[in-house]
Amino acid sequence: MGLIRNLKHSISRAVSTLFSEENPKRIGIYGPPNAGKTTLANRIARDWTGDAVGPESHIPHETRRARRKEDIEIERDGATVNIDIVDTPGVTTKVDYEEFLDHDMEKDDAVRRSREATEGVAEAMHWLREDVDGVIYVLDSSTDPFTQVNTMLIGIIESQDLPVLILANKTDLEESSVQRIRNAFPQHETIPLSALEGDNMDEVYDKIAEYFG
Amino acid sequence: MPHQCTNCDRTFDDGSKEMLSGCPDCGGNKFQFKPDGTDSVDTPAEPPEPPEPSSSSVARTVGRTAATVKDLMSGGSGDQHPTDQETATSSGRRSNAGAGNRGTTPQDQAAPSREDTAQASARSDVISPEELPSETTTDEPHQFQPVSTDETSTPSTDATTAQSTDATTARSTESDPRTDSSDESAVPDETEARSDASVGQPETVDTERPDLKELRDELNDQFESIKVLQPGQYELNLMELYDREEYIVALEEDGRYSIQVPENFHDHD
Repeated sequence: MGLIRNLKHSISRAVSTLFSEENPKRIGIYGPPNAGKTTLANRIARDWTGDAVGPESHIPHETRRARRKEDIEIERDGATVNIDIVDTPGVTTKVDYEEFLDHDMEKDDAVRRSREATEGVAEAMHWLREDVDGVIYVLDSSTDPFTQVNTMLIGIIESQDLPVLILANKTDLEESSVQRIRNAFPQHETIPLSALEGDNMDEVYDKIAEYFG
Repeated sequence: MPHQCTNCDRTFDDGSKEMLSGCPDCGGNKFQFKPDGTDSVDTPAEPPEPPEPSSSSVARTVGRTAATVKDLMSGGSGDQHPTDQETATSSGRRSNAGAGNRGTTPQDQAAPSREDTAQASARSDVISPEELPSETTTDEPHQFQPVSTDETSTPSTDATTAQSTDATTARSTESDPRTDSSDESAVPDETEARSDASVGQPETVDTERPDLKELRDELNDQFESIKVLQPGQYELNLMELYDREEYIVALEEDGRYSIQVPENFHDHD
């Protein structure tokens, strides 16, 4: 089954490469909860289409359904790159409603949010398996990147031979350490940015065009 | 020392006739049967064992007592079984017509030479109610009541079985099915608990907690991509989620999933 699946992916990827002019790449924005994925998705969408993708929040698991923004045309050096971006729920191995009680949430709401967040993780993993051609992996550079989730997801992405761009987000924070992320994943290029402030977005778009164009 | 008077603790050998009309010392008519190998004399009148484990031993004890009484009633030894039928029929005739059976067969005539009067009486005669102690139930010729049966058998059951002239035999045959049925009743409980475990409803199976926990752990290890610790608390196996063919679209409180099976699900096979 695994061999067949890998073969199918390889064929579909080769086909999509052949017809890349016609079919925009579908780029999944992945990462742990509260890394700034939706903030980045909104930044990209607003910069190139004027619309936002979804609401941002400091409460974890605000995004509990994958949201897609299609046919974003990014211009770089006179060329254009068309991508669809998929903002996915934060991936985690544990969801606990008590985490939300600290944010002035009623228990019923917290339990429901927890369940929806869990469904969201399942959905994100499903998208990763079936529906993305490349990954923008967003990390909060003010936190430790050596986690089970990060290691596992990067491993899955690598095993699928998907192009991946690692973004060290939240460089506006005092505790930010881009080098820590570079050290964690030395096999990949790490781009620092602050999606909230819009810092270093030009380099991000350059790399998007380079990796997914 | 198979028999012991529960009143004065006097003991009687297996097959003893002294106890047939009650304890010669105190007149007590309740005896406990102590199987071979259990020689402790100071057995308490009320055994401390819980009813459930003792039920099978009760049945065994009743059965042995009944067998002993039956042997005593019919002549005591197995090698005399060929004559038991004749003795039973002749005793039946004798009860109707007193001296009609005197000297009817050579065997009956030879018997007194090998048996003393008490043995012959025990083998051939049906004891009359008058010979029993006054507090004895009239229809119950010999009350071999192992003390533990008082705990487990209901008075109505005893009364019912006492209607038979072969009361102890009836009780023994009744005891076994009762014991079996109690065993059977325990089995469905167990299987029911296990079937609950298979569908993952832990609130109904407190008594089977260890087995259920093991089963759930095993199932979780093998199949679960989302483990529900309690409503609102989940553990996710990312690799399992990633490897799933089907897409989980909704998660219910009890841990069930609503899934969307891919259109080409069967093409992979």
